[in-house]
Amino acid sequence: MSNQEGRRSQLLRGVLDLCLLAVMGDGPAYGYEMTKRLRTRGLSTVGEGSIYPILGRLERDGLVETRRAASNGGPPRKYYSLSSEGERALEGGVTEWQATRDAVDGALGLVNVKAEVAP
Amino acid sequence: MSEFLDECRREWRRLGVPQPVANEMAADLAADLDEAEAEGGSAEDVLGNSAFDPRRFASAWAIARGVTGPPASNRPSLWRPPMAIVLTAVLGALTIVAGLALLGGRRSSSIAIATRRIIAGPGSNRFFAPGGGRIVGPGPFGLPFTGTQIAGVDVHPLAWILLLVGVVGIGLLVVLYWSPWSGFRRRRHESRRTPSWN
Repeated sequence: MSNQEGRRSQLLRGVLDLCLLAVMGDGPAYGYEMTKRLRTRGLSTVGEGSIYPILGRLERDGLVETRRAASNGGPPRKYYSLSSEGERALEGGVTEWQATRDAVDGALGLVNVKAEVAP
Repeated sequence: MSEFLDECRREWRRLGVPQPVANEMAADLAADLDEAEAEGGSAEDVLGNSAFDPRRFASAWAIARGVTGPPASNRPSLWRPPMAIVLTAVLGALTIVAGLALLGGRRSSSIAIATRRIIAGPGSNRFFAPGGGRIVGPGPFGLPFTGTQIAGVDVHPLAWILLLVGVVGIGLLVVLYWSPWSGFRRRRHESRRTPSWN
């Protein structure tokens, strides 16, 4: 894994649960389906781990609800959907992420200004 | 892929995940892996780098779901390194021998040290027989007392030293290897800790 990929993986690690909650907002989905939704939104990697432990934690914390249902021609799958508590957690998480992103953008923007004035 | 699932199942069994839960997790994972394969993908597309470490993946998932049994490291285990067991056995034997020597020495205070055979008569009369280093002396109830001694050393100080070494040694070994706060147990605990992500 290159340094760039490693950094991307580390950055994603802290918000992957939020991203999963977000893609569940599009409707109930099973594990691999969520991976595909993430990919569609530009997240082609699930980092060092995988989404399964995170889904397990979200389920244990009551942020998602699960039900087993037949998939399109395949075996029954476990579908995850947002619980009301999960919806609140998603809203709070998005606000927190935006504040963090703005702060980081501010810090990185300052670095860029310095780099420009440097000889 | 079936090899990956087999490894996961083994790990879940080791972690005490209930069989129905393990079956459910394995079925979900198998369905996702099959779907990825059918679409021309690989296990890495589904699992990221976890595709290369099934045990780590399986334990992280089970722990995150909160479906593991009691951690293996909390189960009492009597296993210790062979060297610790041998040392404890030797020190234990040393302590017992020293204790017996002290008890025997009290009952027959007139025992002398010799490198040759002693033939003891009644009272303080003793006869030294050549060779053997074996002592025969008056024992309890007037019966003959026999024992092996080291030449030129009084039995009491030596026995006390051996007893002290034995007791202190066993104490140290217990602290090092058997006590709840022993470094050995902590290391085993840490080595058995299972990883989790996020």
